[in-house]
Amino acid sequence: MDILFLLVSISVLLVLAIMAVFGWAVYNGQLDHLDREGERILHDD
Amino acid sequence: MAEPTAFGTWAAEHRGPLSVDDDFTVLDDPFEQQAFTTQTEKEGTLQAQSTLVVQGMYCAACADAVTAAIAKAPGVLTVDVSAATRRVTVTWDPMRTRVSTWARAVGDTGYRLLPAADAHTLTERMREGRSALLRLFIAGFCTMQVMMYAWPDYVAAPGEIPPDIAKLLRLASFVLTLPVLFLAASTFFKAAWRDAKLGRIGMDTPVSVGIIVAFASSTAATFYPTGSWGSEVWFDSLTMFIFFLLAGRYWELKARDRTAGALDAIMHRLPQAVLVRAADGREQLISARRLVVDDTVIVATGQALPADGIALDDDVTLDESLLTGESRPVHHVTGDGLIAGSLNVGGPFRLRVTQVGRDTRFAAIVSLMERASTEKPRLAQLADRIASPFLIVVFLLAIGAGLVWWRIEPQQALSVAVAVLIVTCPCALSLATPTAMLATAGRLAKGGVLVRRLQALETLAKVDTVVFDKTGTLTHDQLHVAQAVSSPALPTARAWALAGALAKVSAHPASQAIVKQSDPVVHPALSAREDHTGRGVSGRDAEGQLWHLGSWSFATANAPSVSSVAEAPWAGPQVYLVCQSDATQWARFDLNETLRPDAAHTLRALQAAGLSLALVSGDQNAAVTAVADRLNESDLPTAPEPLRWLRVQAGASPQEKLACMQQWQASGRVVAMVGDGVNDAPVLAQADVSFTLGQAAALVQNRADYVIQSGQLAEIVAMRTAARATMRVVKQNLVWALCYNVMAVPLAMLGWLPPWAAGLGMALSSLVVVVNATRLSGDGLAHTAKL
Repeated sequence: MDILFLLVSISVLLVLAIMAVFGWAVYNGQLDHLDREGERILHDD
Repeated sequence: MAEPTAFGTWAAEHRGPLSVDDDFTVLDDPFEQQAFTTQTEKEGTLQAQSTLVVQGMYCAACADAVTAAIAKAPGVLTVDVSAATRRVTVTWDPMRTRVSTWARAVGDTGYRLLPAADAHTLTERMREGRSALLRLFIAGFCTMQVMMYAWPDYVAAPGEIPPDIAKLLRLASFVLTLPVLFLAASTFFKAAWRDAKLGRIGMDTPVSVGIIVAFASSTAATFYPTGSWGSEVWFDSLTMFIFFLLAGRYWELKARDRTAGALDAIMHRLPQAVLVRAADGREQLISARRLVVDDTVIVATGQALPADGIALDDDVTLDESLLTGESRPVHHVTGDGLIAGSLNVGGPFRLRVTQVGRDTRFAAIVSLMERASTEKPRLAQLADRIASPFLIVVFLLAIGAGLVWWRIEPQQALSVAVAVLIVTCPCALSLATPTAMLATAGRLAKGGVLVRRLQALETLAKVDTVVFDKTGTLTHDQLHVAQAVSSPALPTARAWALAGALAKVSAHPASQAIVKQSDPVVHPALSAREDHTGRGVSGRDAEGQLWHLGSWSFATANAPSVSSVAEAPWAGPQVYLVCQSDATQWARFDLNETLRPDAAHTLRALQAAGLSLALVSGDQNAAVTAVADRLNESDLPTAPEPLRWLRVQAGASPQEKLACMQQWQASGRVVAMVGDGVNDAPVLAQADVSFTLGQAAALVQNRADYVIQSGQLAEIVAMRTAARATMRVVKQNLVWALCYNVMAVPLAMLGWLPPWAAGLGMALSSLVVVVNATRLSGDGLAHTAKL
């Protein structure tokens, strides 16, 4: 069960990293207009 | 009338391109521009970013057309169109292009650009939305992980987990709770701190205290398990209920944004542009908001006066129905004082501004809307007053329950105290009224009705008497020709043709009515047409005969021997056509005020709903009784029930109207008033609920609770239904909020609610209130009359 020390620590770091990435995504405006994403396919370019 | 199908509704909304012939130069006026544009310096060059509303756009395909049109203009750097919010944000170079250039390009494509009232608050709202989303994610994601770490503790038998692994799991939970506490839950702490500084206990205070207590004891239990705080950790419950609370708040934020968005959609208009002549004779088109006293304005034909002033020219003809309730034009000469909002039905003239009235319609609507959303209705204020002492009671109960449990079973004490703090939700009580009213206000706004006072929704549900004004309310401002009588020497068809040809040069409402009803194909060619404003029109026909069209005195000016048969009494305006060289050729046009098509239907519907109706007007008796009689006419196969008027009064001065209303109110009636015009303003203010049909400059001095922009009287019936539904929902919400608290607090005190369940309950209770209110913003309410 000693492997848990490694696994739990990695999971904590992973969670923090994922939250940082999500934070970047939000503040980069990726999630601002979710309803428009479906319409992008209709654009000409 | 068939029920509107979903497709039909969609098709009706998908109106397609408009015909846009606006000249957008007023948007280049820097004063106007700064309301929707920000200028920044980028790489040494000046860049402007403007946000505008696109009118006429309903889907993503339209967005492409708009983007293409704007992008073609040289000097436009980026274009960002959103079909959902109907807004376009354009970054452009002020040196190379102007707003009016690409606005006109968009107009050619069939969409109209209007300055966005909320250009600057949009960024604010977006920032709020983003941070709410991030907080929600942090709380949710960490909750999931912390629950994973807590899981072994729940399922393992005592002693099965080695103590160092147990400590590891607790430590990991602690680490992941930190972001939730400091990033996600920070809103609660900030709000509680704000309230604490003001010496109040706010809604976030018990939540904050509960969170802090739970966290403190869990942290102590992690690092000092043998200490006095006990060895129970609550990290999983803590993060869970923070997540539930934030989820509830996020939903409310989105719902509020949707409502605000609907209200915004009505607020956008092109600012009024006025032509101002400077001292050196130069003429400049500027925004009406920039007028100052002593400016010389050139008021064009058909334009409403942008400010109070003094006429600088003779021969001024104005439609002063705002002031007098009569649309008969009034003649003015140099030196006369003129009122803002009067309509110029004569030729252009100069006006020296003496008083700049309140701002344009646009700013008036903005302030109306802002006031509506900030003014708290009576029930909401009541709820707020209860909320504060309620919270104090909750604190005492929490401490009391904690102490009691400390005696019985110390392990439970903390959990019970925290549960009591978290489970109570006075927020449901405070949300009950505003959410319902805002949802209805938003839905009404989408239909073109502006709600100025949310409190008016409650009063409208209780109204039992409706008073109507006549001119402009039950009738349109336009006239129409009811009958034409001509002498035997003049065939009626030729009379119509001549009258139509003559009337074309005049902007008088009577002339417009004649032109509308005559066939332009048969108009003879006339020479020497002259508009003698205020009196009539003259012209020569192909045979050289002079014809006069106008009032009796003008028409018979050169032909006094027109037989008296020509005259006949008529309860409305009359226009005469007389050949000046041959008095046997004459014609008379009897005009009626046009009733609004839905007036009779609305009155009958209101009567059927049990309301009393009254008609009080400043116009003369003959006209008023004529209108009342015509309202009873109907061409339906079975004669509908006749209208039973509580009172029909003509010739009433504003004071008399006011006295009438006060009398009814004193006898216990709840009175609604439907009117328009400045002369109705004191009566509208006195009424319990007031409606006005939004048209032209009257809006500026409007004090009505509801403004029906479409001018459809039938909306009143629908609005009453909406108001009653709103009050039903408000009562449901209040009952729910009270019942929930009454049930939940004892449960928590008895120890039957673990803290996570308490958090769930709190979030759910306010969600129930919000969701119940959103029922009002859908199309569930049958729109009973849409003509």
